[in-house]
Amino acid sequence: MTEIQKNGPPPIEVRGLRKVFRQATTGQSVVAIDRLDLTIASREVVAIVGQTGCGKSTFFDLMIGLEAPTDGSIRIGGKSPYADFDFFRGHMATVFQQDRLLPWRSALDNAKLPLELIGHSEEEQRERALSWLKRLGLENFTNAYPHELSGGMRQRVAIARAFSVQPQILLADEAFGHLDEVTAAELRETFLSLTRETGATAILITHQLEEAIAVGDRIVVFGQSARLLADIHVAQWPPSEYGTLREAIQWTLQNQRPDPRLAQAPSAAAQSH
Amino acid sequence: MPLEAIEEHRTPVPVLSFPRQTVASLLIFAVCWETLSHLSPLLGIPPFAVPSFATIARSMARITPLDVVVTLARVIGALIASFTVGIALAMAMYRSETLDKYLHPMVRILMAVPVVSWILFAVLWFPGVEFRIGFVLVVVCGPVFLVDTLDAMRNVPRELRQMMRSFRPTVPQFFVKLMLPAIVPTIFTSWKVNISLAIRVVTIAELVGAVTGIGHQLSVAQELFSVADVFAWTIVLVALLFLLEAVVARLEARILRWRA
Repeated sequence: MTEIQKNGPPPIEVRGLRKVFRQATTGQSVVAIDRLDLTIASREVVAIVGQTGCGKSTFFDLMIGLEAPTDGSIRIGGKSPYADFDFFRGHMATVFQQDRLLPWRSALDNAKLPLELIGHSEEEQRERALSWLKRLGLENFTNAYPHELSGGMRQRVAIARAFSVQPQILLADEAFGHLDEVTAAELRETFLSLTRETGATAILITHQLEEAIAVGDRIVVFGQSARLLADIHVAQWPPSEYGTLREAIQWTLQNQRPDPRLAQAPSAAAQSH
Repeated sequence: MPLEAIEEHRTPVPVLSFPRQTVASLLIFAVCWETLSHLSPLLGIPPFAVPSFATIARSMARITPLDVVVTLARVIGALIASFTVGIALAMAMYRSETLDKYLHPMVRILMAVPVVSWILFAVLWFPGVEFRIGFVLVVVCGPVFLVDTLDAMRNVPRELRQMMRSFRPTVPQFFVKLMLPAIVPTIFTSWKVNISLAIRVVTIAELVGAVTGIGHQLSVAQELFSVADVFAWTIVLVALLFLLEAVVARLEARILRWRA
């Protein structure tokens, strides 16, 4: 059992997070994220939903540490993903909307990439990458180049690449949105079971409400400038009420204010009676 | 696609091929030349101007391998030096916007200077023949490598750069694992362009002041009014160019087999 599995990854604390961009053409400032507060517990799987341009991708970049916040902070176990960039090498992994595999590397070499960066021995890199590819059903395609694989297979390699370092934090940006429904559902399930098994904390950004409900322990609904419109604990909703939950999130996104139905989750309501 | 099908799909790419049309056009040219060489007295053309293939063959037999080796060594040496300087500067300019702003105009000026001017500068500035030739080759080929490499680096997709950075590489890892492999196709194209350029430039540089090399032998042939010798040495130059291109193409097919 790894240390993460024993102790769990550190919680993520977002406090007063603000990100302002200056438009190159007009010189005007655009507030992408406006004073966001969010706490994500260890091993929680959080789905973030929101309309296009609401700041989801900016939040993703800030979480990875590729952008510096204009104001406020993101703290993971007291460390900042931006200021303490190198600290998170091997502790954080990402799955993007497109697979983003390196075309000159085989599936195995792509899965090995993060392990090479950490500096594991060649033998360990190979062993770990092969083991993850095998778990994702790609044992017969380890030497195939990305262009020789289907979209779903390429995304599996990308997932293997992310899991190969056994990260504490997993970030997925619309990771299954470009796949057909059957492949997406299959990959979602695999991703979720592997996340649970490794004990990682996962943040999934998605525009698909079904996906958010199927995967997330929590669903965080972003309004414009990543204003927190709703923070839903999915476990409080029995599966028979998922239809209502979906409608309520949809209403929230359309009206940019929380649907009253979200304030009274069915299980919570049942308890109060 | 099953694994066997993938392996089968990877057919080797032919490096050099001579389609029928190429052979036919060369034959037509050869027949025309030979006919002209026999008809030249009737057409009022001096006999030495269009030598027959037999005369050219005799000149070919007199080719001195040492001059070929010297020219080849100059070309390869200068290309390696140009490539090293070009890629090192391109990486520095990619990393530093300030350096790019200072060096970019200078590179553009270097590229605009005619080769003949560089040769004259080299003759006036440097006493050593080898250094002169090396200088001219590097100053002509280096900027091509630099500009091509820098452009290729800037064209590496943002998505791949973001993915790579998300795994937190060190700066050398970022270049070795992403940037360099990503620009390899452009580097090969740049080598092909520069081989052709270097062969032409080295010949002109050797014409001035050198006492060895194909350029020098061309100069001697010109003094002797021997078109057959010029033709023979030109054939050697073209063959050298094809040989170097074939070597690069073979390397390219091997290294870029992932594109098959």
